[in-house]
Amino acid sequence: MPLLHDGKLIEDDKWSVFSDDAELPDNPAQAIVSMQRYIELRASGALVPGDALVPDGANTSGVEPVPVGVVVAPEDDVLVLAPYVVQLNLIAISFPVYTDGRGYSHARLLRKRMAYSGELRAIGDIRADQVLFMARSGINSFDFPAQPDMNLVQTLVTRFEKNYQPSYALPVDFR
Amino acid sequence: MYQYTADDKAVVQARVNEFTDQVSRYEQGQLNEDEFKQLRLRNGLYYQRHAYMLRVAIPYGVLSSDQLHELGHIAEVYDKGYGHFTTRQNIQYNWPELTEVPKILQRLANVEMHAIQTSGNCIRNTTTDPLAGAVADEIEDPRPWCELIRQWSTLHPEFNWLPRKFKIAVTGSKEDRAAVQVHDIGLRLIKNDNDAVGFEVLVGGGLGRTPYIGSVIREFLPASDLLTYLNAILRVYNQAGRRDNLYKARIKILVNAMGIDAFKERVELEWAQSKNEDDTFTAEQIDALKAQFPAAPRLPVDAPTQASEVHSNPLFNQWYQSNTRAHRDPGRRIVFISLKSAQAPAGDATARQMQAAARLAAQFSESEIRTTHEQNLVLPHVPMGELYQLWKALSKHDLATANIGKLGDMIVCPGLDFCSLANAGTITIYDQINARFDNLDYQHELGDISIKISGCMNACGHHHVGDIGILGVEKGGVEWYQLTLGGHAGNKAALGKRLGKAIPKDDVADAIENILNTFIEYRSEEETFNTTFERIGVAPFKEKVYAAAA
Repeated sequence: MPLLHDGKLIEDDKWSVFSDDAELPDNPAQAIVSMQRYIELRASGALVPGDALVPDGANTSGVEPVPVGVVVAPEDDVLVLAPYVVQLNLIAISFPVYTDGRGYSHARLLRKRMAYSGELRAIGDIRADQVLFMARSGINSFDFPAQPDMNLVQTLVTRFEKNYQPSYALPVDFR
Repeated sequence: MYQYTADDKAVVQARVNEFTDQVSRYEQGQLNEDEFKQLRLRNGLYYQRHAYMLRVAIPYGVLSSDQLHELGHIAEVYDKGYGHFTTRQNIQYNWPELTEVPKILQRLANVEMHAIQTSGNCIRNTTTDPLAGAVADEIEDPRPWCELIRQWSTLHPEFNWLPRKFKIAVTGSKEDRAAVQVHDIGLRLIKNDNDAVGFEVLVGGGLGRTPYIGSVIREFLPASDLLTYLNAILRVYNQAGRRDNLYKARIKILVNAMGIDAFKERVELEWAQSKNEDDTFTAEQIDALKAQFPAAPRLPVDAPTQASEVHSNPLFNQWYQSNTRAHRDPGRRIVFISLKSAQAPAGDATARQMQAAARLAAQFSESEIRTTHEQNLVLPHVPMGELYQLWKALSKHDLATANIGKLGDMIVCPGLDFCSLANAGTITIYDQINARFDNLDYQHELGDISIKISGCMNACGHHHVGDIGILGVEKGGVEWYQLTLGGHAGNKAALGKRLGKAIPKDDVADAIENILNTFIEYRSEEETFNTTFERIGVAPFKEKVYAAAA
């Protein structure tokens, strides 16, 4: 799906979300799994630092890391991710419906409390009119369900030159 | 009063431009009905029973003469010549055309006003004591703090999609005229033992279908921590508040489900972590806001401290008694303008009345007007020696009805005539009561009493906290009215007790008359309805009302 990352449209995004009952491929390059599954994988020793999923029976030394991402659902306690964020380079926040604002607080906690600096991606019901506040909460990539009008997105995101909450700043210049 | 900085102007102008584009995208079919609804709500635009309704924010109920004049102009040009002042100190226009709304918002921006977040599940207009900065019993003027909250809450990116709407009220006085105990967050300016100014913080109050009195979450919050503490409460609510049921989504339900102790623990834990992260502010910032709210100039010591005509004109005297209050400057008086004249629905003012009030404020009250949650206006700083002249001028515009705090000063939601949620009419009940008790001498004889009327259980007319509460309900397509007694919104906040079974529409004035007669029968010298009710309880009233109906 069309992805806007750091202000640029990405055509060849490789990440994909695996639901908890979907089997992960042997070499799950850029799989996004639920928080719960991710933590289970970590606890079982299947992941080594760098978030590589170790192929069955493989010797971990010298294994090329295969990154795994995490998706945070609205009802998740995002703070549980604190010990893991340094090893993650993709965290997705799901917005099953755009009027559910829990993801904004998740984003804020990831960026501020946990100092997460990797890609923070909004997935689900993502609409152009919501991108500005998502971005100001710390989200820097947007997985639109359909091709967005890029001129519109840019207009919406750059319209406010001033705002009342200076610490909630845009993560990148969208101009 | 507060003047916009260049930054304020930039934010509000950008918002006008944004909504102008959104209206145009909607009209071109680029936004669907549901998407547009959420966007328009956050700009104060509802779609009601007959038409669009625009709710304009009057931040903490403070208006300049220029602003009120412009509100009158908008009523004249874009509406049917009147506006409706609400229980949240805002104003509503009932008949704007969608395509004109961007123009209205532009006109508002030109006089430093907006309609941002006057609806939708976000932080609404902060309300306060309409007498702020004019009364003697103030710890501190709450308005600079309200302005700080206005700025913080306006277009806050994290809290624009809350489980439900969120209302904050602030009081700076010992006497609570802002109903802080029935708000999502209530803030009371207080001083601690070291004379430091801070806030007592209440959370989880509210009316609606499940009314609660707020609980104290913090006995003393240093003033400098205000925004970070609000941020912590809002963050916990945003994450933990229910979203599965519209009627269980307010913070009061969360607080009561968790219990105040567990809720407080979670907020304090969040705050301990977040207090240095977001929404901090500096001493310079709040000092700059305080400088924008100077006290009214002190009148010379030889200025009159008595209204000279008090004893010579009985009508003026009556008005002086009910519609004016002591100002902290003995040379001035606070004047209430009643919007309950019986000639129009409660809280309605015509364009001409608004512009007359604006002119009179310029002439008599330092160009300042307040709106009250009882749906009246206030001229806060009138020189004592000019009261008679002002009274005569107000009388000409039907703005001097001497009924402030009296029976005729009812709080009334728009009801079935205007609101798509309502189950029953309210304006008709207001008219019925006004027609029955039109004698002002009788009203003064009764003393202070509040009648509050809601057309449905969402309780916009605050019926739970009226001495007499009237709730419209619908049974089998017929309008009935459920009465409660003994509610109170001030320091001794209390929810009214149910009188008995609902009463048919045509019998409401009879029931009120029986209630008032019972009060007169039982009251002892100087008692108000509230104190008599506290002493004798609901039973004697019930007996009288239902015996008469049987």
